[in-house]
Amino acid sequence: MKELHKLLDRIVQRVNINLRELEFDVNPLVNTLIPAGQMTKFYAFYGITPHHALNLVFKHSNLSGSYFLGKVRVTNSLLYKSDIRGDELKKNGDLFQYQDFNIPVDQDEEISIEDSFLIKTLVHNYSHDPETLETFFIKDTVSTHYANIHGSPSDGSFLGPFATVDLTTIRDCVIGAYSYVQAGEVSHLSIDPGTVWVRKPGDFNFMYRYPLGQLSNYVYFAAGSPPQGVFMDFLEDRKEAFERVFNVVNIETPESVPASASLDRFAVIKPKTKIGENVLVAQRAFLQNSVLGKGANAQENCYIINAKLEGNNVTAHGAKIIEADLGKNVFVGFNSFLRGRPGARITIGQECVIMPHTIVDVRKPLTIPPGHLVWGLVRSPQDLEANSMPLKDFAKIDTRVCRGAMLFEGSGGSFVSGFQERIHHILEANGAFFDGKLKRGHAQRNQNISFNTIQPYPEGDKAGLYPTIIIQP
Amino acid sequence: MKNYRVKDLMVPISEYATVPEDATLFEAVQALERAQEQFNQNRYSHRAVLILDKQKKVVGKLSQMDFLAALEPRDANLEQIRNFKQFGFTRKAVALQQEEYLKSSPPILDFYSEAASKKVTEYMQRPTEGEYVDENASLDMALHQLTAGANLSLLVTRGAEIVGILRLSDVFAAVYHSMKESELQKTLGETQ
Repeated sequence: MKELHKLLDRIVQRVNINLRELEFDVNPLVNTLIPAGQMTKFYAFYGITPHHALNLVFKHSNLSGSYFLGKVRVTNSLLYKSDIRGDELKKNGDLFQYQDFNIPVDQDEEISIEDSFLIKTLVHNYSHDPETLETFFIKDTVSTHYANIHGSPSDGSFLGPFATVDLTTIRDCVIGAYSYVQAGEVSHLSIDPGTVWVRKPGDFNFMYRYPLGQLSNYVYFAAGSPPQGVFMDFLEDRKEAFERVFNVVNIETPESVPASASLDRFAVIKPKTKIGENVLVAQRAFLQNSVLGKGANAQENCYIINAKLEGNNVTAHGAKIIEADLGKNVFVGFNSFLRGRPGARITIGQECVIMPHTIVDVRKPLTIPPGHLVWGLVRSPQDLEANSMPLKDFAKIDTRVCRGAMLFEGSGGSFVSGFQERIHHILEANGAFFDGKLKRGHAQRNQNISFNTIQPYPEGDKAGLYPTIIIQP
Repeated sequence: MKNYRVKDLMVPISEYATVPEDATLFEAVQALERAQEQFNQNRYSHRAVLILDKQKKVVGKLSQMDFLAALEPRDANLEQIRNFKQFGFTRKAVALQQEEYLKSSPPILDFYSEAASKKVTEYMQRPTEGEYVDENASLDMALHQLTAGANLSLLVTRGAEIVGILRLSDVFAAVYHSMKESELQKTLGETQ
C-alpha cells in the first residue's frame, strides 16, 4: 500500500502548488477522507456497447468502485467510486461551434485524468472549451463527495462536496461545498460554499448565495472528517440498497420496463416504481414507489422517492425528489434537493425550471405554479415568493434585478432561452423523443450494456494500485 | 517652472490634525473638525488626520475616505456582496444587492454609533515605503511619487523625523500656477 500513499502525497502536493496563491491547503481536507483499506476493497468496472467507443487506458492509478464508459485515460490518479461517463464525447469529423467559429474536431475526444483524486465524483458530457476540443482534461485536481465535473476541463483545482462545475474550464480554483459554477472559463477564484453562479460574459450574470448559517445544516465540510449534514445523512440511510446491486452479478430487470426505456443494472429500483416509454435511469440512481412518465430521466446519483413525474422531466445529476408531483417538462437541476413529506407534498407545475443546487424543504404542502423559475433555499411560501419568478417575467429583465440573495444582471431573455434550449437538448440526447425509429438517445443506446470488472493488486507495496491496463476493441 | 522643493509646499506637522493611537474614530473626526475650523485663520484645508504613537511618531493616516468606509456596515454577508465585482457584476449591481441586504439590517444610525467608539487604528492606513518624501526633494520627484502611488498626500521627512505633509492639492496648485505663468510669458513674448 506504500505506492498508494505516495500517490496521494504526490497529488496533494501538485494541487497545493496550483492553489498556493489562494493559500488553500487540500491536505488536511483529504488525507484521511478515504481510509486506504477502502481503496483496495472495490472492483472497478467498464461498459461495452456497440454504440460507444471502447478505448480505456489506466496507468499507475487506483480505480476503486469507479465506472468507465467510452474513451478515457487515467494516469497517476485515485478514483474512488466515481463515474467517468464518456458517452457524449466529440467525434473525429464533428464541427464544434463557438461564437462565429466552426472548429473541426480532428480526432475522437478523450477524457484524460492525470494526477487527480476524485471521490464519488461524476464526470460527464464533453469539453466545451474551444481551446481543447479533443481532450477533456482533469489534471492536478481534487474533487470530493458527489461533485459533478460536467463538460468542464479542470487544472489545479479543488471541488468541495456536492459542488458542480458545468460547461466551465477551471484553473487554480477552489469551488466551495454545494456551489454551482457555469461561467465559461474561470481562474484563480475561490468560490464560497453555497454559491450558484451562471454567467455568460456580455450577456447575463446570475448569482445566488445561500445564507451562511443555513447551508451548514444541509452540508458542512471541514478538515478531519467527511462531509456532514442532511445531504450526507440522506445518502447514508440508503447506502445499503446499493450494496446488493454491486455485489450480485446477474441482477433481474423489472418486467414492466418498456423496450424503449433504459434501466441501468447499477441503479436501485425499489417496489411500486413505474417506468414509462423512453425513460432513462442511469447507474447509481435510486427509485422508490415512483412514477416516471414518458421521456423522463433520472441521471447518476438521483433519488426519486414517493414521487410522480408526468413526463419529459429532466432530473439532473445528483438531484433528489421526495414526496413530490411534477408536471410535464419540469427541469430539476444538478444536486437540487426537493423534500416534501407525507401530507406535505411539493407540487411543481409544468414547464418549471428548478435551478441547479436549489433546496425546497417543506413541512407543509407547497405548490409551485407552472412556468416558474425557482432558485435557492425554499422552506415556506414566503421563501418561494422571494426565490421564484414566472419565466415570462424573468425573460423581460434587460438591466438588473435583485431579489433577496439573488442578483441578476443582463438579458433575462437570453438566460431563459439558454435554459430552455439546454433542457430540450438534454431530453433529445437522452432519447425522450424517440418515436420507435428515429431520435434515438441514451435511453435506447444504453440498453444491453455488458459490464466487465477489473481489480487491483491485493497486497504488497502496490496493494490498491491497478496494473497498467489497456482496453480496446 | 519655478524650482520648488517639497518643504516649500508642505503643511508643517504642527499645524496638522493629529490624534494619539488610542483615540476613537469619533475623536479623530473631532480633531479633524477642530483643525478645519482653524482653516479660516490659516491657509490649510484639512482632509486627513495623522495618528501618532507615544513617541509622537506618525503610525498612520485616516483620510475622509477611510472614515466613510469605516461607517459602511460590515458582516460576512456584506463582504461577500462587495466581492461580487470579481464575478463580473457592475458596481450598480453590487450596490443594488447591498441595498437589498441592508433592508433587513439594523438602522444605519446604529452602525454609526458602533463605529464611533471603535479605535482609529482599526481604520487608519499605515504609510508604505513610497509615501515618504524628503523635505529637500524636488517637486518633480514628489509629483512622480504622488502619481505612481495614486496618493492624495505624502509624509515629508527630515532624517528620521516626519516634519510635514505634502498634499496633492498643494502640488496641483503649484504646478498649475507655474504652467499659467509660463504660458502668460510665452503670450507676452509673441505679442511684443
